[in-house]
Amino acid sequence: MDSLTKNRLHGVTPVLLPAIGNAWQRIHPVQHILYVLVAGILLWSNNDVQWRTLLLVTLIEIIATLRTISSNTNTARTATGDIASILFLFFGAWYLATTVLQLLDPMLVPGPEAVLTLFVAELPDTLKGLRSSLLLLVSGYGLAILTAIPLGLMVGYHRRMFHAAMPFTKLLGTIPPVVYIPYAIHFLPSFTAASVTVIFVGAFWPIFINTLSGVFNVPRGIIDAARVLNLNTPTMLLRVILPASLPSICTGATLALCFSFLMLTMAEMIGGSSGMGWYISNFSEFADYPRVIVGIIFIGLVVTTITFFTERLERHLLRWRI
Amino acid sequence: MHSITIDNISFSHGQQRILQNFSLQAEAGEFICLLGPSGCGKSTLLRLLAGLDYPTQGTIMLGNKPIKGPGLDRGVVFQDYSLFPWLTTGKNIVFALKQAFPGKSTSFYNEIAHKHLQAVKLDHAFDKLPSELSGGMRQRAAIARAFAINPPVLLMDEPFGALDAVTRAHLQDALVTLWQQEAPGRKTIFFVTHDVDEALLLGTTVVVMGANPGRIRGIFPVELPRPRKHSQLAMHPSSLQLRQTLLSLLYEEAPAVEAPLAV
Repeated sequence: MDSLTKNRLHGVTPVLLPAIGNAWQRIHPVQHILYVLVAGILLWSNNDVQWRTLLLVTLIEIIATLRTISSNTNTARTATGDIASILFLFFGAWYLATTVLQLLDPMLVPGPEAVLTLFVAELPDTLKGLRSSLLLLVSGYGLAILTAIPLGLMVGYHRRMFHAAMPFTKLLGTIPPVVYIPYAIHFLPSFTAASVTVIFVGAFWPIFINTLSGVFNVPRGIIDAARVLNLNTPTMLLRVILPASLPSICTGATLALCFSFLMLTMAEMIGGSSGMGWYISNFSEFADYPRVIVGIIFIGLVVTTITFFTERLERHLLRWRI
Repeated sequence: MHSITIDNISFSHGQQRILQNFSLQAEAGEFICLLGPSGCGKSTLLRLLAGLDYPTQGTIMLGNKPIKGPGLDRGVVFQDYSLFPWLTTGKNIVFALKQAFPGKSTSFYNEIAHKHLQAVKLDHAFDKLPSELSGGMRQRAAIARAFAINPPVLLMDEPFGALDAVTRAHLQDALVTLWQQEAPGRKTIFFVTHDVDEALLLGTTVVVMGANPGRIRGIFPVELPRPRKHSQLAMHPSSLQLRQTLLSLLYEEAPAVEAPLAV
Protein backbone atom coordinates (compact mmCIF):
# COMPACT_ATOMS: atom_id res chain seq x y z
CA MET A 1 0.00 0.00 0.00
CA ASP A 2 1.52 3.34 -0.96
CA SER A 3 1.83 6.08 1.58
CA LEU A 4 -0.85 8.23 -0.01
CA THR A 5 -3.58 5.60 0.32
CA LYS A 6 -2.35 4.76 3.76
CA ASN A 7 -2.61 8.37 4.84
CA ARG A 8 -6.04 8.73 3.35
CA LEU A 9 -7.25 5.62 5.16
CA HIS A 10 -5.78 6.86 8.38
CA GLY A 11 -7.32 10.25 7.83
CA VAL A 12 -10.82 8.87 7.51
CA THR A 13 -10.97 6.02 9.97
CA PRO A 14 -8.80 6.67 12.99
CA VAL A 15 -11.02 9.43 14.31
CA LEU A 16 -13.98 7.09 14.52
CA LEU A 17 -12.69 3.59 14.93
CA PRO A 18 -8.93 3.10 14.75
CA ALA A 19 -9.36 -0.64 15.16
CA ILE A 20 -11.35 -0.90 11.94
CA GLY A 21 -8.76 1.12 10.05
CA ASN A 22 -6.10 -1.19 11.36
CA ALA A 23 -8.06 -4.32 10.51
CA TRP A 24 -8.82 -3.09 7.00
CA GLN A 25 -5.13 -3.10 6.14
CA ARG A 26 -4.94 -6.71 7.20
CA ILE A 27 -7.72 -7.95 4.95
CA HIS A 28 -7.12 -10.24 1.98
CA PRO A 29 -9.95 -9.20 -0.39
CA VAL A 30 -9.73 -12.19 -2.77
CA GLN A 31 -10.17 -14.63 0.10
CA HIS A 32 -13.43 -13.04 1.28
CA ILE A 33 -14.85 -12.62 -2.22
CA LEU A 34 -14.16 -16.28 -2.97
CA TYR A 35 -15.69 -17.32 0.34
CA VAL A 36 -18.91 -15.42 -0.40
CA LEU A 37 -19.02 -16.88 -3.91
CA VAL A 38 -18.51 -20.49 -2.81
CA ALA A 39 -20.89 -20.16 0.13
CA GLY A 40 -23.46 -18.66 -2.23
CA ILE A 41 -23.16 -21.55 -4.67
CA LEU A 42 -23.47 -24.05 -1.83
CA LEU A 43 -26.61 -22.34 -0.53
CA TRP A 44 -28.18 -21.64 -3.87
CA SER A 45 -28.56 -25.03 -5.32
CA ASN A 46 -31.08 -27.29 -6.95
CA ASN A 47 -29.93 -30.01 -4.56
CA ASP A 48 -30.26 -30.00 -0.81
CA VAL A 49 -28.28 -27.33 0.97
CA GLN A 50 -24.72 -28.60 1.44
CA TRP A 51 -24.55 -28.00 5.20
CA ARG A 52 -21.39 -29.90 5.94
CA THR A 53 -19.41 -28.43 3.10
CA LEU A 54 -20.73 -25.00 3.99
CA LEU A 55 -19.69 -25.54 7.60
CA LEU A 56 -16.20 -26.62 6.57
CA VAL A 57 -15.75 -23.69 4.20
CA THR A 58 -16.99 -21.26 6.86
CA LEU A 59 -14.61 -22.77 9.37
CA ILE A 60 -11.73 -22.22 6.96
CA GLU A 61 -12.87 -18.61 6.44
CA ILE A 62 -13.04 -17.93 10.18
CA ILE A 63 -9.67 -19.53 10.95
CA ALA A 64 -7.97 -17.77 8.04
CA THR A 65 -9.44 -14.39 9.03
CA LEU A 66 -8.37 -14.81 12.64
CA ARG A 67 -4.88 -15.79 11.52
CA THR A 68 -4.58 -12.80 9.17
CA ILE A 69 -5.60 -10.46 11.96
CA SER A 70 -3.21 -11.96 14.47
CA SER A 71 -0.15 -12.51 12.26
CA ASN A 72 2.59 -9.91 12.44
CA THR A 73 4.22 -10.05 9.04
CA ASN A 74 2.74 -9.17 5.69
CA THR A 75 4.15 -12.35 4.19
CA ALA A 76 2.38 -14.58 6.71
CA ARG A 77 -0.85 -12.62 6.26
CA THR A 78 -0.79 -12.91 2.48
CA ALA A 79 0.11 -16.59 2.61
CA THR A 80 -2.84 -17.39 4.90
CA GLY A 81 -5.23 -15.54 2.60
CA ASP A 82 -3.78 -17.24 -0.46
CA ILE A 83 -4.06 -20.72 1.05
CA ALA A 84 -7.68 -20.12 2.09
CA SER A 85 -8.44 -18.83 -1.42
CA ILE A 86 -6.99 -21.97 -3.00
CA LEU A 87 -9.08 -24.15 -0.66
CA PHE A 88 -12.25 -22.23 -1.56
CA LEU A 89 -11.48 -22.62 -5.26
CA PHE A 90 -10.88 -26.34 -4.75
CA PHE A 91 -14.14 -26.94 -2.88
CA GLY A 92 -16.09 -24.75 -5.30
CA ALA A 93 -14.69 -26.56 -8.34
CA TRP A 94 -15.20 -29.97 -6.77
CA TYR A 95 -18.81 -29.18 -5.92
CA LEU A 96 -19.53 -27.73 -9.35
CA ALA A 97 -17.87 -30.57 -11.24
CA THR A 98 -19.64 -33.31 -9.33
CA THR A 99 -22.92 -32.38 -7.70
CA VAL A 100 -24.01 -29.48 -9.94
CA LEU A 101 -22.70 -30.24 -13.43
CA GLN A 102 -22.24 -34.00 -12.88
CA LEU A 103 -19.19 -34.15 -15.12
CA LEU A 104 -17.77 -37.07 -13.16
CA ASP A 105 -19.22 -40.44 -12.28
CA PRO A 106 -20.51 -40.13 -8.68
CA MET A 107 -19.48 -43.75 -8.10
CA LEU A 108 -15.84 -42.84 -8.78
CA VAL A 109 -15.74 -39.23 -7.60
CA PRO A 110 -18.54 -38.32 -5.22
CA GLY A 111 -19.29 -34.71 -4.33
CA PRO A 112 -17.82 -32.98 -1.28
CA GLU A 113 -20.99 -33.29 0.79
CA ALA A 114 -21.16 -37.05 0.29
CA VAL A 115 -17.47 -37.49 1.13
CA LEU A 116 -17.76 -35.33 4.25
CA THR A 117 -20.84 -37.22 5.43
CA LEU A 118 -19.07 -40.51 4.87
CA PHE A 119 -15.89 -39.20 6.50
CA VAL A 120 -17.76 -38.44 9.70
CA ALA A 121 -19.73 -41.69 9.60
CA GLU A 122 -16.59 -43.75 9.02
CA LEU A 123 -14.59 -42.08 11.80
CA PRO A 124 -15.00 -45.00 14.28
CA ASP A 125 -13.58 -47.41 11.66
CA THR A 126 -10.81 -45.16 10.42
CA LEU A 127 -9.74 -44.29 13.95
CA LYS A 128 -9.57 -47.97 14.80
CA GLY A 129 -7.40 -48.45 11.72
CA LEU A 130 -5.28 -45.49 12.80
CA ARG A 131 -4.64 -47.11 16.14
CA SER A 132 -3.39 -50.35 14.67
CA SER A 133 -1.34 -48.47 12.06
CA LEU A 134 0.28 -46.15 14.58
CA LEU A 135 1.22 -49.12 16.73
CA LEU A 136 3.17 -50.64 13.82
CA LEU A 137 4.64 -47.29 12.82
CA VAL A 138 5.79 -46.33 16.30
CA SER A 139 7.32 -49.79 16.89
CA GLY A 140 9.20 -49.94 13.59
CA TYR A 141 10.24 -46.30 13.44
CA GLY A 142 11.05 -46.11 17.15
CA LEU A 143 13.20 -49.22 16.90
CA ALA A 144 15.05 -47.66 13.97
CA ILE A 145 15.67 -44.41 15.89
CA LEU A 146 16.85 -46.33 18.96
CA THR A 147 19.32 -48.48 17.03
CA ALA A 148 20.45 -46.34 14.09
CA ILE A 149 21.45 -43.23 16.06
CA PRO A 150 23.67 -44.92 18.71
CA LEU A 151 25.16 -47.23 16.09
CA GLY A 152 25.76 -44.33 13.71
CA LEU A 153 27.42 -42.30 16.46
CA MET A 154 29.72 -45.15 17.39
CA VAL A 155 30.66 -46.22 13.87
CA GLY A 156 31.01 -42.63 12.67
CA TYR A 157 33.25 -41.67 15.56
CA HIS A 158 35.73 -44.49 15.03
CA ARG A 159 37.47 -43.90 11.73
CA ARG A 160 38.37 -47.55 11.21
CA MET A 161 34.79 -48.77 11.74
CA PHE A 162 33.53 -45.94 9.56
CA HIS A 163 35.68 -46.91 6.59
CA ALA A 164 34.89 -50.60 7.04
CA ALA A 165 31.12 -49.98 7.25
CA MET A 166 30.90 -47.51 4.39
CA PRO A 167 30.69 -49.94 1.39
CA PHE A 168 28.02 -52.05 3.11
CA THR A 169 26.05 -48.98 4.06
CA LYS A 170 26.19 -47.71 0.50
CA LEU A 171 25.03 -51.04 -0.92
CA LEU A 172 22.33 -51.90 1.61
CA GLY A 173 21.08 -48.37 2.00
CA THR A 174 20.27 -48.01 -1.69
CA ILE A 175 18.07 -51.11 -1.93
CA PRO A 176 14.44 -49.93 -1.94
CA PRO A 177 13.00 -51.44 1.25
CA VAL A 178 9.77 -52.33 -0.58
CA VAL A 179 11.50 -55.39 -2.00
CA TYR A 180 11.70 -56.93 1.46
CA ILE A 181 7.92 -56.96 1.95
CA PRO A 182 7.07 -60.32 0.31
CA TYR A 183 10.10 -61.94 1.92
CA ALA A 184 9.23 -60.62 5.37
CA ILE A 185 5.59 -61.61 5.12
CA HIS A 186 6.58 -65.09 4.02
CA PHE A 187 9.21 -65.76 6.65
CA LEU A 188 8.05 -63.95 9.74
CA PRO A 189 5.45 -65.56 12.01
CA SER A 190 2.88 -62.77 12.09
CA PHE A 191 1.83 -59.82 10.01
CA THR A 192 2.74 -57.51 12.89
CA ALA A 193 6.29 -58.87 13.06
CA ALA A 194 6.64 -58.67 9.28
CA SER A 195 5.43 -55.09 8.94
CA VAL A 196 7.39 -53.83 11.95
CA THR A 197 10.51 -55.41 10.42
CA VAL A 198 9.87 -53.84 7.04
CA ILE A 199 9.20 -50.40 8.53
CA PHE A 200 12.31 -50.78 10.65
CA VAL A 201 14.49 -51.62 7.65
CA GLY A 202 12.99 -48.75 5.65
CA ALA A 203 13.62 -46.26 8.45
CA PHE A 204 16.98 -47.60 9.64
CA TRP A 205 19.16 -46.78 6.63
CA PRO A 206 18.24 -43.12 6.14
CA ILE A 207 18.81 -42.44 9.86
CA PHE A 208 22.01 -44.50 10.00
CA ILE A 209 23.53 -42.97 6.85
CA ASN A 210 22.69 -39.42 7.89
CA THR A 211 24.00 -39.99 11.42
CA LEU A 212 27.24 -41.32 9.94
CA SER A 213 27.72 -38.36 7.65
CA GLY A 214 26.70 -36.00 10.43
CA VAL A 215 29.35 -37.42 12.75
CA PHE A 216 31.93 -37.50 9.96
CA ASN A 217 31.30 -33.83 9.16
CA VAL A 218 31.43 -32.44 12.70
CA PRO A 219 33.82 -29.47 12.36
CA ARG A 220 37.34 -30.25 13.54
CA GLY A 221 37.19 -27.14 15.70
CA ILE A 222 34.33 -28.55 17.76
CA ILE A 223 36.16 -31.86 18.23
CA ASP A 224 39.31 -29.98 19.31
CA ALA A 225 37.35 -27.78 21.72
CA ALA A 226 35.90 -30.94 23.24
CA ARG A 227 39.21 -32.82 23.33
CA VAL A 228 40.95 -30.09 25.32
CA LEU A 229 38.27 -30.60 28.00
CA ASN A 230 39.51 -34.17 28.38
CA LEU A 231 36.07 -35.79 27.98
CA ASN A 232 35.61 -39.54 28.26
CA THR A 233 34.16 -41.32 25.24
CA PRO A 234 30.52 -41.57 26.45
CA THR A 235 30.44 -37.87 27.34
CA MET A 236 32.13 -37.02 24.06
CA LEU A 237 29.55 -39.01 22.08
CA LEU A 238 26.45 -37.92 23.99
CA ARG A 239 27.23 -34.31 24.85
CA VAL A 240 29.31 -33.24 21.85
CA ILE A 241 29.09 -35.55 18.81
CA LEU A 242 25.34 -36.16 19.18
CA PRO A 243 24.29 -32.49 19.36
CA ALA A 244 26.84 -31.49 16.72
CA SER A 245 25.48 -34.03 14.24
CA LEU A 246 21.83 -33.47 15.19
CA PRO A 247 21.02 -31.36 12.10
CA SER A 248 22.04 -34.25 9.86
CA ILE A 249 20.29 -36.79 12.11
CA CYS A 250 17.06 -34.79 11.88
CA THR A 251 17.28 -34.80 8.09
CA GLY A 252 17.64 -38.58 8.20
CA ALA A 253 14.81 -39.01 10.69
CA THR A 254 12.44 -36.94 8.55
CA LEU A 255 13.34 -38.94 5.47
CA ALA A 256 12.92 -42.15 7.47
CA LEU A 257 9.47 -41.07 8.61
CA CYS A 258 8.37 -40.67 4.97
CA PHE A 259 9.80 -44.13 4.22
CA SER A 260 7.98 -45.54 7.24
CA PHE A 261 4.61 -44.24 6.08
CA LEU A 262 5.26 -45.70 2.67
CA MET A 263 6.30 -49.09 4.04
CA LEU A 264 3.43 -49.14 6.53
CA THR A 265 0.76 -48.48 3.92
CA MET A 266 2.26 -50.91 1.45
CA ALA A 267 2.60 -53.65 4.04
CA GLU A 268 -1.01 -53.16 5.13
CA MET A 269 -2.26 -53.11 1.55
CA ILE A 270 -0.40 -56.29 0.69
CA GLY A 271 -0.85 -58.40 3.79
CA GLY A 272 -2.81 -56.56 6.47
CA SER A 273 -6.20 -57.20 7.99
CA SER A 274 -6.51 -53.84 9.71
CA GLY A 275 -5.03 -50.35 9.51
CA MET A 276 -5.28 -47.39 7.19
CA GLY A 277 -3.63 -49.03 4.18
CA TRP A 278 -5.82 -52.08 4.55
CA TYR A 279 -8.91 -49.84 4.78
CA ILE A 280 -8.15 -48.41 1.35
CA SER A 281 -7.17 -51.64 -0.38
CA ASN A 282 -10.12 -53.48 1.13
CA PHE A 283 -12.73 -51.00 -0.11
CA SER A 284 -11.11 -50.61 -3.49
CA GLU A 285 -11.55 -54.36 -3.95
CA PHE A 286 -15.27 -53.81 -3.44
CA ALA A 287 -15.11 -50.82 -5.80
CA ASP A 288 -16.34 -48.64 -2.93
CA TYR A 289 -14.53 -45.52 -4.14
CA PRO A 290 -16.18 -43.01 -1.79
CA ARG A 291 -14.67 -44.94 1.12
CA VAL A 292 -11.32 -45.13 -0.70
CA ILE A 293 -11.37 -41.34 -1.00
CA VAL A 294 -12.28 -41.03 2.67
CA GLY A 295 -9.31 -43.28 3.49
CA ILE A 296 -6.93 -41.24 1.36
CA ILE A 297 -8.06 -37.96 2.92
CA PHE A 298 -7.78 -39.51 6.37
CA ILE A 299 -4.20 -40.70 5.75
CA GLY A 300 -3.34 -37.26 4.37
CA LEU A 301 -4.63 -35.61 7.53
CA VAL A 302 -2.81 -38.05 9.80
CA VAL A 303 0.51 -37.62 7.98
CA THR A 304 0.14 -33.83 8.00
CA THR A 305 -0.57 -33.82 11.73
CA ILE A 306 2.41 -36.02 12.52
CA THR A 307 4.72 -33.98 10.28
CA PHE A 308 3.48 -30.79 11.92
CA PHE A 309 4.60 -32.04 15.30
CA THR A 310 7.90 -33.54 14.13
CA GLU A 311 8.76 -30.25 12.40
CA ARG A 312 8.13 -28.37 15.64
CA LEU A 313 10.24 -30.87 17.52
CA GLU A 314 13.04 -30.45 14.98
CA ARG A 315 12.89 -26.67 15.23
CA HIS A 316 13.04 -26.95 19.00
CA LEU A 317 16.01 -29.31 18.94
CA LEU A 318 17.92 -27.19 16.43
CA ARG A 319 16.98 -23.77 17.80
CA TRP A 320 20.69 -23.08 18.44
CA ARG A 321 21.40 -22.97 14.74
CA ILE A 322 21.58 -19.58 13.10
CA MET B 1 52.36 -21.25 37.92
CA HIS B 2 53.97 -23.82 35.62
CA SER B 3 57.11 -23.50 33.61
CA ILE B 4 57.14 -25.09 30.19
CA THR B 5 60.16 -26.66 28.54
CA ILE B 6 60.01 -27.46 24.87
CA ASP B 7 63.01 -29.68 24.31
CA ASN B 8 64.29 -30.10 20.77
CA ILE B 9 60.96 -31.16 19.21
CA SER B 10 60.21 -31.84 15.57
CA PHE B 11 56.84 -32.30 13.95
CA SER B 12 56.12 -33.55 10.45
CA HIS B 13 52.90 -33.78 8.55
CA GLY B 14 53.49 -36.56 6.04
CA GLN B 15 56.56 -35.53 4.07
CA GLN B 16 56.34 -31.93 5.19
CA ARG B 17 58.47 -30.89 8.14
CA ILE B 18 56.55 -28.25 10.05
CA LEU B 19 58.76 -27.82 13.12
CA GLN B 20 62.40 -28.83 13.33
CA ASN B 21 64.65 -29.00 16.38
CA PHE B 22 62.52 -26.50 18.18
CA SER B 23 63.42 -25.59 21.77
CA LEU B 24 61.89 -22.96 24.01
CA GLN B 25 61.78 -22.36 27.72
CA ALA B 26 58.94 -20.45 29.37
CA GLU B 27 59.03 -19.44 33.02
CA ALA B 28 55.89 -19.66 35.12
CA GLY B 29 53.71 -16.56 34.75
CA GLU B 30 55.20 -15.50 31.44
CA PHE B 31 53.04 -14.13 28.65
CA ILE B 32 54.64 -15.46 25.51
CA CYS B 33 53.53 -14.16 22.15
CA LEU B 34 54.35 -16.45 19.24
CA LEU B 35 54.72 -14.13 16.28
CA GLY B 36 55.25 -15.34 12.77
CA PRO B 37 54.04 -15.47 9.18
CA SER B 38 51.41 -18.03 8.20
CA GLY B 39 52.86 -21.49 7.76
CA CYS B 40 55.62 -21.04 10.34
CA GLY B 41 54.09 -23.68 12.59
CA LYS B 42 53.00 -21.39 15.42
CA SER B 43 49.50 -22.90 15.54
CA THR B 44 51.02 -26.37 15.30
CA LEU B 45 53.22 -25.57 18.28
CA LEU B 46 50.12 -24.53 20.21
CA ARG B 47 48.35 -27.78 19.28
CA LEU B 48 51.37 -29.73 20.53
CA LEU B 49 51.26 -27.78 23.78
CA ALA B 50 47.52 -28.49 24.05
CA GLY B 51 48.17 -32.18 23.50
CA LEU B 52 45.96 -32.30 20.40
CA ASP B 53 48.94 -33.51 18.33
CA TYR B 54 52.14 -35.26 19.34
CA PRO B 55 55.67 -34.24 18.37
CA THR B 56 57.38 -36.72 16.04
CA GLN B 57 60.50 -36.24 18.11
CA GLY B 58 61.40 -34.63 21.44
CA THR B 59 59.25 -33.84 24.46
CA ILE B 60 57.40 -30.94 26.00
CA MET B 61 57.57 -30.71 29.79
CA LEU B 62 54.89 -29.00 31.81
CA GLY B 63 56.52 -28.34 35.14
CA ASN B 64 58.28 -31.65 35.59
CA LYS B 65 55.75 -33.81 33.73
CA PRO B 66 55.82 -34.53 30.00
CA ILE B 67 52.68 -33.66 28.00
CA LYS B 68 50.91 -36.82 26.93
CA GLY B 69 47.62 -35.56 25.57
CA PRO B 70 44.98 -32.93 26.28
CA GLY B 71 44.44 -31.95 29.89
CA LEU B 72 42.50 -29.50 32.02
CA ASP B 73 45.77 -28.03 33.33
CA ARG B 74 45.89 -26.17 30.01
CA GLY B 75 43.02 -23.97 28.90
CA VAL B 76 42.68 -23.40 25.16
CA VAL B 77 40.96 -20.54 23.35
CA PHE B 78 40.59 -20.97 19.59
CA GLN B 79 39.79 -18.40 16.96
CA ASP B 80 36.32 -19.91 16.61
CA TYR B 81 34.30 -22.86 17.90
CA SER B 82 35.64 -22.51 21.42
CA LEU B 83 32.01 -22.51 22.59
CA PHE B 84 29.59 -25.30 21.73
CA PRO B 85 26.87 -23.65 19.63
CA TRP B 86 24.05 -25.75 21.14
CA LEU B 87 24.75 -24.67 24.72
CA THR B 88 24.03 -21.24 26.16
CA THR B 89 27.01 -19.18 27.31
CA GLY B 90 26.35 -20.12 30.92
CA LYS B 91 25.92 -23.82 30.17
CA ASN B 92 29.11 -23.79 28.12
CA ILE B 93 31.04 -22.63 31.15
CA VAL B 94 29.19 -24.99 33.49
CA PHE B 95 29.92 -27.90 31.13
CA ALA B 96 33.65 -27.15 31.28
CA LEU B 97 33.51 -26.62 35.05
CA LYS B 98 31.89 -30.01 35.55
CA GLN B 99 34.86 -31.54 33.78
CA ALA B 100 37.41 -29.56 35.76
CA PHE B 101 35.76 -29.89 39.19
CA PRO B 102 33.52 -32.98 39.11
CA GLY B 103 30.97 -33.76 41.80
CA LYS B 104 30.08 -30.26 42.94
CA SER B 105 26.57 -28.83 43.27
CA THR B 106 24.76 -27.05 40.43
CA SER B 107 24.71 -23.80 42.38
CA PHE B 108 28.49 -24.01 42.80
CA TYR B 109 28.95 -24.27 39.03
CA ASN B 110 26.43 -21.53 38.30
CA GLU B 111 28.02 -19.19 40.79
CA ILE B 112 31.50 -19.58 39.28
CA ALA B 113 30.10 -19.18 35.77
CA HIS B 114 28.29 -15.97 36.74
CA LYS B 115 31.37 -14.63 38.46
CA HIS B 116 33.61 -15.13 35.43
CA LEU B 117 31.03 -13.79 32.99
CA GLN B 118 30.78 -10.70 35.17
CA ALA B 119 34.56 -10.31 35.01
CA VAL B 120 34.31 -9.92 31.22
CA LYS B 121 31.11 -7.82 31.49
CA LEU B 122 28.96 -10.51 29.93
CA ASP B 123 26.72 -11.57 32.80
CA HIS B 124 23.60 -10.57 30.86
CA ALA B 125 24.46 -13.21 28.24
CA PHE B 126 24.34 -16.16 30.63
CA ASP B 127 21.23 -17.60 28.96
CA LYS B 128 22.09 -16.58 25.41
CA LEU B 129 23.17 -18.99 22.70
CA PRO B 130 26.49 -18.29 20.94
CA SER B 131 24.58 -17.60 17.71
CA GLU B 132 22.84 -14.72 19.51
CA LEU B 133 26.16 -13.09 20.43
CA SER B 134 28.58 -11.00 18.38
CA GLY B 135 32.02 -12.38 17.57
CA GLY B 136 33.60 -10.22 20.27
CA MET B 137 31.12 -11.38 22.89
CA ARG B 138 31.74 -15.01 21.95
CA GLN B 139 35.49 -14.62 22.44
CA ARG B 140 34.89 -12.85 25.75
CA ALA B 141 32.78 -15.82 26.84
CA ALA B 142 35.51 -18.21 25.68
CA ILE B 143 38.07 -16.30 27.74
CA ALA B 144 35.71 -16.32 30.73
CA ARG B 145 35.41 -20.07 30.37
CA ALA B 146 39.18 -20.52 30.15
CA PHE B 147 39.66 -18.49 33.35
CA ALA B 148 36.77 -20.24 35.11
CA ILE B 149 38.49 -23.61 34.78
CA ASN B 150 41.50 -21.79 36.21
CA PRO B 151 44.30 -23.74 34.51
CA PRO B 152 47.91 -22.77 35.25
CA VAL B 153 48.58 -22.56 31.51
CA LEU B 154 46.51 -20.77 28.89
CA LEU B 155 46.96 -21.41 25.16
CA MET B 156 45.40 -18.94 22.75
CA ASP B 157 45.41 -19.41 18.97
CA GLU B 158 44.79 -16.02 17.35
CA PRO B 159 41.73 -15.53 19.55
CA PHE B 160 41.12 -11.98 18.32
CA GLY B 161 42.05 -12.63 14.68
CA ALA B 162 38.50 -12.40 13.36
CA LEU B 163 37.48 -9.28 15.29
CA ASP B 164 37.39 -5.63 14.27
CA ALA B 165 40.10 -3.30 15.58
CA VAL B 166 38.04 -1.64 18.31
CA THR B 167 36.64 -4.87 19.73
CA ARG B 168 40.10 -6.39 19.57
CA ALA B 169 41.59 -3.54 21.60
CA HIS B 170 38.89 -3.97 24.26
CA LEU B 171 39.49 -7.69 24.50
CA GLN B 172 43.26 -7.26 24.67
CA ASP B 173 42.78 -4.95 27.65
CA ALA B 174 40.36 -7.37 29.28
CA LEU B 175 42.76 -10.28 28.83
CA VAL B 176 45.73 -8.42 30.31
CA THR B 177 43.61 -7.26 33.26
CA LEU B 178 42.47 -10.80 34.02
CA TRP B 179 46.01 -12.12 33.72
CA GLN B 180 47.51 -9.38 35.92
CA GLN B 181 44.88 -9.76 38.65
CA GLU B 182 46.20 -13.17 39.54
CA ALA B 183 49.66 -11.98 40.57
CA PRO B 184 51.76 -13.57 41.98
CA GLY B 185 50.14 -16.82 40.73
CA ARG B 186 49.80 -15.64 37.15
CA LYS B 187 48.97 -18.07 34.39
CA THR B 188 51.61 -18.93 31.84
CA ILE B 189 50.14 -17.81 28.54
CA PHE B 190 51.08 -18.78 24.99
CA PHE B 191 49.45 -16.42 22.57
CA VAL B 192 49.67 -16.98 18.81
CA THR B 193 49.42 -13.89 16.64
CA HIS B 194 50.66 -12.44 13.37
CA ASP B 195 50.16 -8.86 14.57
CA VAL B 196 53.34 -7.14 15.82
CA ASP B 197 51.42 -4.50 17.79
CA GLU B 198 49.30 -7.11 19.51
CA ALA B 199 52.44 -8.99 20.54
CA LEU B 200 54.03 -5.80 21.91
CA LEU B 201 50.89 -4.84 23.75
CA LEU B 202 50.38 -8.18 25.47
CA GLY B 203 53.56 -10.15 25.85
CA THR B 204 56.31 -10.30 28.39
CA THR B 205 58.27 -12.09 25.69
CA VAL B 206 57.86 -12.13 21.93
CA VAL B 207 59.09 -15.20 20.08
CA VAL B 208 59.48 -14.57 16.36
CA MET B 209 59.19 -17.69 14.28
CA GLY B 210 60.24 -18.43 10.72
CA ALA B 211 58.88 -20.91 8.20
CA ASN B 212 60.14 -23.89 6.19
CA PRO B 213 60.67 -25.56 8.55
CA GLY B 214 59.26 -23.76 11.58
CA ARG B 215 62.02 -22.45 13.82
CA ILE B 216 62.85 -19.62 16.18
CA ARG B 217 64.30 -16.49 14.63
CA GLY B 218 64.56 -14.45 17.76
CA ILE B 219 63.37 -14.11 21.34
CA PHE B 220 62.70 -10.59 22.58
CA PRO B 221 61.76 -9.64 26.14
CA VAL B 222 59.30 -6.75 26.15
CA GLU B 223 60.12 -4.46 29.06
CA LEU B 224 57.53 -1.76 28.48
CA PRO B 225 55.65 -0.57 31.55
CA ARG B 226 52.03 -1.65 32.02
CA PRO B 227 49.30 -0.69 31.45
CA ARG B 228 50.40 -0.44 27.86
CA LYS B 229 48.31 1.62 25.46
CA HIS B 230 48.13 1.47 21.69
CA SER B 231 48.79 5.20 21.49
CA GLN B 232 51.85 4.98 23.72
CA LEU B 233 53.36 2.14 21.73
CA ALA B 234 53.81 4.50 18.79
CA MET B 235 55.65 7.10 20.91
CA HIS B 236 57.84 5.12 23.28
CA PRO B 237 61.32 5.12 21.70
CA SER B 238 62.31 1.67 22.96
CA SER B 239 59.04 0.19 21.77
CA LEU B 240 59.45 1.82 18.37
CA GLN B 241 62.86 0.30 18.01
CA LEU B 242 61.65 -3.16 19.05
CA ARG B 243 58.68 -2.83 16.73
CA GLN B 244 61.05 -2.02 13.86
CA THR B 245 63.22 -5.03 14.66
CA LEU B 246 60.24 -7.37 14.83
CA LEU B 247 58.73 -6.04 11.60
CA SER B 248 61.95 -6.39 9.64
CA LEU B 249 62.45 -9.89 10.98
CA LEU B 250 58.89 -10.77 10.04
CA TYR B 251 59.02 -9.34 6.53
CA GLU B 252 62.46 -10.67 5.73
CA GLU B 253 60.72 -14.00 6.00
CA ALA B 254 58.44 -13.33 3.04
CA PRO B 255 60.71 -13.89 0.02
CA ALA B 256 59.88 -12.72 -3.48
CA VAL B 257 60.11 -16.29 -4.76
CA GLU B 258 58.39 -19.11 -2.90
CA ALA B 259 61.11 -21.10 -1.12
CA PRO B 260 61.07 -24.81 -2.03
CA LEU B 261 59.65 -27.11 0.61
CA ALA B 262 62.23 -28.87 2.69
CA VAL B 263 61.88 -32.58 2.00
